[in-house]
Amino acid sequence: MTEAVLELRSVTKRIGTCRIVDNLTFDVPAGEVFGFLGPNGAGKTTTIRMIVGLISMTKGEVRIKGVSVRDQFELAMTHVGAIVENPEMYKFLTGYQNLVHFARRHHGVTKQRIDEVVKLLGLQNRIHEKVKRYSLGMRQRLGVAQAILHRPSLLILDEPTNGLDPAGIRELRDYLRNLAREEGISVLVSSHLLSEIELMCDRVAIIQSGKLVDIRSMEEARTQTQSKILLEAGDIDAARQLLSQLFDPSQVAAAGSYLEIAADKSVIPNIARVLIAADIEVLGIHAVQKSLEEQFLEITGGEMVV
Amino acid sequence: MSSLSQLIRNENMKIYRRPRTWLMVLFLVGAVALMSGIMKYDESRTDSGDWKASLTQQNQQMSSDVQNSSMDEDRRNSLENRIKLNDYYLSQNINPDELTIGDYVKSSASLILLVTLLTVVVAADMIAGEFTWGTIKLLLVGPASRTKIMLGKYLSTLAFALFLLVVCFLAALAAGGILAGFDGLSAPDISINASGIIHESSMLIASIEKYGYNVIMLLMYVTMAFMISAAFRSSSMAIAFSLLFMLVGNTLSAILSGYSWVKYLLFPNIDLTQYMDGNTPLRPEMTMSFSILMLAIYYVAFQLIAWLLFTRRDVAA
Repeated sequence: MTEAVLELRSVTKRIGTCRIVDNLTFDVPAGEVFGFLGPNGAGKTTTIRMIVGLISMTKGEVRIKGVSVRDQFELAMTHVGAIVENPEMYKFLTGYQNLVHFARRHHGVTKQRIDEVVKLLGLQNRIHEKVKRYSLGMRQRLGVAQAILHRPSLLILDEPTNGLDPAGIRELRDYLRNLAREEGISVLVSSHLLSEIELMCDRVAIIQSGKLVDIRSMEEARTQTQSKILLEAGDIDAARQLLSQLFDPSQVAAAGSYLEIAADKSVIPNIARVLIAADIEVLGIHAVQKSLEEQFLEITGGEMVV
Repeated sequence: MSSLSQLIRNENMKIYRRPRTWLMVLFLVGAVALMSGIMKYDESRTDSGDWKASLTQQNQQMSSDVQNSSMDEDRRNSLENRIKLNDYYLSQNINPDELTIGDYVKSSASLILLVTLLTVVVAADMIAGEFTWGTIKLLLVGPASRTKIMLGKYLSTLAFALFLLVVCFLAALAAGGILAGFDGLSAPDISINASGIIHESSMLIASIEKYGYNVIMLLMYVTMAFMISAAFRSSSMAIAFSLLFMLVGNTLSAILSGYSWVKYLLFPNIDLTQYMDGNTPLRPEMTMSFSILMLAIYYVAFQLIAWLLFTRRDVAA
């Protein structure tokens, strides 16, 4: 594995006796789009704010390219570009002036670089207009522009698609994937929307009530989707008895007027043969892919807010 | 890592790109013009022809007052000084009622109260405004420590105060020049001190001195407003409280002047001109050095509290 750009080590935030974020540990390697998924109030935003130093940690350590955020904040932040929730800009300034404002904080962001980023995000036509006249989508793009001006190694986005229309979401998603692939930037993106994370990310951390529930790669999740077979038959009890001999009894369960068999579709011909041989009427057999959403709901105990 | 000078440029951009700032400047220039106009109008109204005769007559009146009545020492002294000053005017052939450009500039020092008011509004908005706009998150997530960001904000607030002072001074100079002629610039500033010695000093230096005392007050109020700005997350609250303290402070200290502890408050100490000739401080035991010490303590406290509030709190909104 390549060197981790972002490392969290038992990061904890406690307010009073309530642990808002509890002992989070994970790494984000270079060039990975890392999703941060959890229901509203799970501690996603708090974690992200601790990473960028807006909120102090009660315990633990965050390192960005090996530099501790707590001990060397300024140095660590030179590697980070961030949008924390909606990118609020100075409305009385033009888009360009806003970019100049953020560029000045970094060394070596030239005028050419600002123009380049403006063009990259397709803002060149209206960049000299006041931000108060921008639509939300344009502000979002200006926010991304601001975050990548200084060519960060880590891009952090907190609920970036809040309030964007579907076209805007798609655009942002494609753009982030490009950044990660072509410039090797690691991206940490939080969301409570599974569908979004599914399309954007390489790996996903699922947190709930401040605790890390699971980290899985989307690749794995897609290939290892479990499927099940739904069977509708005339005499469901007889079918069940028969199939319990064929499979492990725990794999077979009744679900209303259906039988549910945890297996993939390669066994369908076999099931059909057995049932017909036993003279049980088969009304229907079909394979159902367990969706990612169901898997995640399972992991989070059904509390996912989608 | 951000350099302080770049952060100050950013803050300046945020001050001077706002239309509000230029309305303030316009307002200040208007106030100077209005005051100068009223001064000119008053002068033309009281013009009584032969000023030498009227000065001589005044002197005779005062001389007889001094000899006849049994007045106290202070009053007698001040009358005698005025007679001396009038004699000096007569011998130098200077009409004291005729306004010179210097009088306009010196009077404009009273408008520093307005400069303070305007700068307090800007200072109160400096940190709280970022919270109100929601820009605080992007501002803080950058390669600049909070201390550095705050220092940049404070310094550009002071620069703004200086800018308004210069505007006020230049506007008064221009108004005075137009109304009384610029040749008055070389005229001396004549004053008399407690022991009855007449001073002739440069008009410019006298004006700047007058500005100087008021600038201390300006600095204290602006620093207080800056601290309040760090305490509140809404700029309207920060502005309201800063102005409230500033406007209520003097009344409050006057009401409480019977108690000896009132001297430890900020407001009774903030005006150092109370120790100048002819003025009495709020409490008899107060001295200039006591007030300077109190102001220094308050200044450090304001800065420290503002720093703690700004650097230690979580930004969770």
